[in-house]
Amino acid sequence: MTDSRSSISALSDQLADAVAAASASVVAVHARPRLPSTGVHWKDGVVVTTEGTVRQEEDITVSLPDGKRIPATFVGRDRGTDLAVLRIPPGSLRVAELGDPAVLRPGNLVLALGRLDDGGARAAFGAVSATGGKWRAWKGGEIDRWLQSDLTIYPGFGGGPLVDSSGQIHGTNSGALSRPLATTIPVGTVSRVVAQLLERGYVPRAWIGAAMQPVRTDEGGGLLLVSIEKDGPAAKAGLLLGDVVVTSFDQLLEVLGDDSVGTKVSLDVVRAGKQRKIDVVIGERPRGRGRAGR
Amino acid sequence: MPSGLFLGDAAARLRASVVAIVDGGHGAGFAWRGDFFVTSAHVVSSQKAVLVTSDGRAVEATVVGRDVDRDIALLHAPDARVPAVTCGDPYALRPGALVFAVGHPLGVRDAVSVGVFQAVRAVPLGFGMAERRPRRGRSPFIPWVQADVRLAPGNSGGPIADVEGNVIGVAAMIVSGLALAVPAPELEGLLSKS
Repeated sequence: MTDSRSSISALSDQLADAVAAASASVVAVHARPRLPSTGVHWKDGVVVTTEGTVRQEEDITVSLPDGKRIPATFVGRDRGTDLAVLRIPPGSLRVAELGDPAVLRPGNLVLALGRLDDGGARAAFGAVSATGGKWRAWKGGEIDRWLQSDLTIYPGFGGGPLVDSSGQIHGTNSGALSRPLATTIPVGTVSRVVAQLLERGYVPRAWIGAAMQPVRTDEGGGLLLVSIEKDGPAAKAGLLLGDVVVTSFDQLLEVLGDDSVGTKVSLDVVRAGKQRKIDVVIGERPRGRGRAGR
Repeated sequence: MPSGLFLGDAAARLRASVVAIVDGGHGAGFAWRGDFFVTSAHVVSSQKAVLVTSDGRAVEATVVGRDVDRDIALLHAPDARVPAVTCGDPYALRPGALVFAVGHPLGVRDAVSVGVFQAVRAVPLGFGMAERRPRRGRSPFIPWVQADVRLAPGNSGGPIADVEGNVIGVAAMIVSGLALAVPAPELEGLLSKS
């Protein structure tokens, strides 16, 4: 009896320790009226939060763990993965201790952290619900791992870290990516998007400049080209309206990964009943085009 | 590592002190000391109430004190013979510490829900509380024990406790999913006034 009581106390202490350790690199981001969102000091001088909570790109401030409020500069946003990056002066607070989300399994205890005011960090408690491989968010972003938990993402917790029971940070929590579930953008994806936003201010998206519609053909199925952007990659490759690409949307999206810009893909195309191969050089989607284009 | 018992011992002790309030209101309450019970003011609407103990006895109680602004009521039930709770200090808890609630959510008797402590302070802006005109017993500007614990109607007036089973607050309401409770250290002052 004494044993069970002391071990549950030990678990409680461990969770509070994890919150204390991780929250040393967690800030409140004031980039919208009233309620701040939460941000993680991902690398020195770089704060990550969720894109949807950054409503203003000027006059942004962040609250540090010691309560001090300092100005931050907007670097860029990626709607596809729901991430935004800010710059703060280097050395402002501790840099996040990042973990490897691949070690998390369903049932592992996890915490979500938030910083909403000057009253210290807050925590929500739960378990990893499901994990899996690469997936594409409805906003278009490619996310390296599926990482879902039963955590409650309270108002202002968006952009906060998923923390394991040792205090390591495994990603950025987004309530908006797959409502109503708490979804975490894993460390690898966040780091990739951070690097791209720091380098060019946006995340390039693969694009061939053609709209397609699934059709049934003698060969099984394919995608019928219903519009082609002038001077886009599809047009340059000589694809024509009415061509049927022998593939599925899933296969095509697989080819059009975020790192595929500039690579050449060979498409099987049925034109006037004859199958041929057409090479398309994957381009970069013009910015400001499409949901994920900003 | 924690044993399979988890919170079993602390929960069993606390559940023995929790009652259901079934007449003159609906909700939970707990034995505070002697024959006196604490609940939420919004749970007891009249001067009389019937308490059902965890061993199934129905006993009569009289409302002897009420603080509507703090949403706390004190009941006297001389025949209850229920062990009193021990009180803990929410101000000593760190965020992330385990806490649990006992109540009757949606009518499920003496149900335990587990979560973690967040803060004792005023409710932050953006939780849909400060924005509304403050009603009696619902001021966002006074300190609340705030915890990530799932509550439902029927938890009102019941205890929220630390991992040892010491009561740190009286469950009062849910705001944007967050559990709010009246801090246990305030009970002394509130109840001595009433």
